[in-house]
Amino acid sequence: MKKRISLLVAMVMALSIIVAAVPAMADKTVITYWSNDRHDEAYMSEVIDKFNAEHDDIEINMVIMTDDFENSILLAIDGGTAPDIVGQAVTIKNMVDYDAVVDLTPYIEKDEEYQKVNDPFNHKYEGLNAIGDAIYWVPSGQRSGVRIEYNKALLEASGFEGIPATLPEYIEMAKKITEDGKANDPVTYGIGFTSSSPFERQLEMMAQVSGVFYYDYANGKFDFTGYKPFLEAGRELVAVAYPDQQGVDNMRAQFAAGAFALWGNASQEAGVFTSQFPITDFEWGVSPVPSLDGEIKGALQVNPNKGYLILKSSKNQDAAWEVVRYLQSEEVLVGYMEGGFDLPITSYIDERVDKSKMGRMGEFSLLDYESVYPAVPTINLLGDDYRTTLWNAIMGYIDIDEAIADLNTRYNQAYDEDVSLGFVRRLVVEDYDPLHPSAGTVTWLEQ
Amino acid sequence: MSNYVNPQLAPTNRSPRPANKKMRLKESGGLASGLMLAPSIIFLAVCSVYPFIWIFRYITFNYDGIPAHTRYTGLRNFTTMLADTKFWSSVGTTFEYALWKLVFIIPLALVMAVLLNQKLRGSSFFRGVFFMPTVISSSISGMIFTFIFATGNGILNGILQNLGIINQPVGWLTDTAVVMAAVIIMSVWAGFGNYMLYFVTGMTSIPEDVYESSRIDGANGVQTFFKITLPMLAPVLKVVLMLAITGAFKDYEAIMVLTNGGPGTRTNVMFLYIYNLIFGTGANATRQIGYGALLSLVAAVIVGAVTILYNIVAKKLDDVV
Repeated sequence: MKKRISLLVAMVMALSIIVAAVPAMADKTVITYWSNDRHDEAYMSEVIDKFNAEHDDIEINMVIMTDDFENSILLAIDGGTAPDIVGQAVTIKNMVDYDAVVDLTPYIEKDEEYQKVNDPFNHKYEGLNAIGDAIYWVPSGQRSGVRIEYNKALLEASGFEGIPATLPEYIEMAKKITEDGKANDPVTYGIGFTSSSPFERQLEMMAQVSGVFYYDYANGKFDFTGYKPFLEAGRELVAVAYPDQQGVDNMRAQFAAGAFALWGNASQEAGVFTSQFPITDFEWGVSPVPSLDGEIKGALQVNPNKGYLILKSSKNQDAAWEVVRYLQSEEVLVGYMEGGFDLPITSYIDERVDKSKMGRMGEFSLLDYESVYPAVPTINLLGDDYRTTLWNAIMGYIDIDEAIADLNTRYNQAYDEDVSLGFVRRLVVEDYDPLHPSAGTVTWLEQ
Repeated sequence: MSNYVNPQLAPTNRSPRPANKKMRLKESGGLASGLMLAPSIIFLAVCSVYPFIWIFRYITFNYDGIPAHTRYTGLRNFTTMLADTKFWSSVGTTFEYALWKLVFIIPLALVMAVLLNQKLRGSSFFRGVFFMPTVISSSISGMIFTFIFATGNGILNGILQNLGIINQPVGWLTDTAVVMAAVIIMSVWAGFGNYMLYFVTGMTSIPEDVYESSRIDGANGVQTFFKITLPMLAPVLKVVLMLAITGAFKDYEAIMVLTNGGPGTRTNVMFLYIYNLIFGTGANATRQIGYGALLSLVAAVIVGAVTILYNIVAKKLDDVV
């Protein structure tokens, strides 16, 4: 008898669990979103919680995945565990060739409110967020080009008031601060570099504003020759730099602790040095990067960002679109910009953002020579990428001339082969102007 | 004449041979053995043989994981490999790393095993302490040593400076002259506890009366170690050495976290190079699964050749001894 009662109780309990669970599962469509941003986690969680509380039909589940993002997505698609929406940090050509992403154009065309807020047809960048007529993600904002963030106290202690306009002066300044810093306890340095793409964060951008870019848009080929003076300058800077090149966050923490005076990174540092590693012991400033001779001869690259892609593997693409249009709604975007997480990319949002709430982000506002560059074709390159190779040359692991010759050969061989096999078309920009890289006429050649 | 028959020589009263094959299999224990081996065989086939065949088919292709980009390239991957100085340099680095690791890890593990086998107070505690790094994941080991070896604010430099051993901080992870030493220290720390445990287990199987006899004969500790412990540990030592050799050649995870093969390519061991090629990580702009597949086969051949060579040498030594 006891056994029967126990069995009955167990059955009732199991049934009650099933009955209780069914409505919860059946009522809401869960849309999983993989974000590649960590710096905005608190704000994004807040707006997502609000959405989830207000909606009975859809629930957003945000997962932050910052490492090996594109590979993780492709593996998840193969394994049947892919999310519905992913952040934009992917190579769009690869995702399209993999038949992984949904063309958002039909959704956008039907949605006037979305068009009004995000102006998607004027922010369509071939090879970046669109291929042909198809738009795969729409930027919510943009990240500024690189700036120099500097420790005012260390600069002043060495007799400097701000960042000079030329690279040779900049090097001399770093040298002087390091020399003076030997008397400090602990020792302080003029400049610091991270191990994560160090070339990109300062010297490459100094080259850009000096009119040097790795892709020759006018002739449709790669050309690294112009980087030589920047590699030589890099060797001088590394010689007086903080002795370690650690991960970005470690080096940010060192800068915030006053270990070195000069740090290079884009507008995300506004939030980093006010909330992630708040600087309280000294004043810090923001300055444009210097050019080789003080003259601005090329545009500084800005990056449209914070876009959302819907994966074709999603069984709930319409619900996923509802999530995308919420995350790119006026309400969410204005709060995002005022939170200092990004810079507005559309005039509609720009006019509605209260700049006084943006904190230090206001100091990263776009310069008149900042611009989006046409996306350089994705090629099937073997070996180290140019940033690694050039940094290895700066560190003295390889000869500067050999590094440049190697890159010119490898990049152009891979490009020529990919073009001849029809995997990519050759990008040529007629009337190319380095100060206005997006202004020329884009031509795609078959050879 | 005696009627005694040696029972070992006497014809046994064998049961008649089973009539059918099925029964014979059952009786010989073949079925039970087969069933017991089945899980291992299935796992081996799924986790080892299948991936090997999967990767083998791409060695003549340019393949980045996206089917639309796949193309047959004939012998191009082979010619690229022959001219790939970075790969051959990584092979050399692997040999250098493996050699230094073995030189330190085996004697250290052996000495620690002998000391901890003395049944002294606290030896079990230290056995646990020394074994602990083995259960920590390689990537965590790499991260721990990143903090230890940091130049400006590293723990090791701090200690050495406080002791007055160095005046200037050493660039453990940025100086090509010393970075290999840093990597070796980390890998020895992470691995010697495992080999130590093998040796301790081996020592427990040496009969106590052998030691007792040696003591009666007046042997001291050093003589006991070289004349009794080491020879009787030889079979274990052979296995440990083989595991250590293959393990050292395949190490890359902790190195990836600690130095990512740098500075430059100074600690770029071959499996790290291959990993970065296949997964398009590190400095590689695109995934090179086809080329990486070829290199992983070549790397497997290299490790296999070293292991075979070691077995031949070990066998010759056995014959000599």
